[in-house]
Amino acid sequence: MTEHDHDHSHPHAEIAADGAPGYFEVLETALRELLIEKGFIKAAEIRRQIEVIDSRTPALGAKIVVKAWTDSVFRAQLLANGRAACEELGITFYDDTSLIVLENTETVHNLIVCTLCSCYPRPVLGLPPDWYKLKPYRARAVIEPRAVLAEFGTIIPDDVEVRVSDSTAVVRYLVLPRRPAGTENYSLDRLEALVTRDAMIGVVPVTLDSVEA
Amino acid sequence: MDLVQPVVQRLPNDIGGIVGDPVVRIDRPLEPWEKRCHALADVLDFHKIINTEEKRRGVESLGSAMIGALGYYERWAVVFANLLFQKGVLTPEEVALKMAGIDARSSAERGDDAGEPR
Repeated sequence: MTEHDHDHSHPHAEIAADGAPGYFEVLETALRELLIEKGFIKAAEIRRQIEVIDSRTPALGAKIVVKAWTDSVFRAQLLANGRAACEELGITFYDDTSLIVLENTETVHNLIVCTLCSCYPRPVLGLPPDWYKLKPYRARAVIEPRAVLAEFGTIIPDDVEVRVSDSTAVVRYLVLPRRPAGTENYSLDRLEALVTRDAMIGVVPVTLDSVEA
Repeated sequence: MDLVQPVVQRLPNDIGGIVGDPVVRIDRPLEPWEKRCHALADVLDFHKIINTEEKRRGVESLGSAMIGALGYYERWAVVFANLLFQKGVLTPEEVALKMAGIDARSSAERGDDAGEPR
């Protein structure tokens, strides 16, 4: 480790003590305003995209998971072409990415990561948590996934294969977790409430007492 | 050689499989400017001005010292500037002038005429 080798999740001093915007906020504002003034982009597009970002949360992913649990035709479509199946549900993909849905089974547990950066199924889960973007998870998920899972409290039996999928700029993954036993009579809403972001990344299972971290 | 070889074999982003610390489950909501920065990235991608892979490569080309020193969206803002200069979309001079103007504007909005140049 060098002195520069630490990762940042904190926003730095973008708001100075006197309330002035920080250097990077001013840089972002300058670039955006110049691009708008020169006609490369429109202010309304930025506003619209902020609304889109705000509209994408793990609740959307949970709807997809529960639909797959309760509709075998949809499940087959989802596993065949994740993006097309989501678009059938009316979920638009604003970025130019494909989506591969990875089904957890009795014999396979899936985990997703982006070792190079922070690629993530944003259209269906929203923005990734900070730990997903930081070095420990990115470095270790591909080499010692069971140890990483254990840090999330998830112990995968030795006879279950752990598969790690490394995302790219154009190929994103979503884990389809296993439906917990004892939920046969649950309503769709009640099922969706069990499906957490972390379960769709693959670091935890869906359990009857799932609570979003 | 053992000290030098990893430097040429792995670029700064290529950390999959190296030794790392335990995962600490940290997360925080984005600052408003960070969310605008993210929206700007998406809109630049829609217009085929800067795509995701160019942005990632741009971060890598900052080098490990700058990558380590800057926060996630701070790196993005710097990379957008670099790429927009390289592509001839904006010039360093107009960005510098614009930043000075924004500083003056925000000083005035705060009723603070002691805004110091950066």
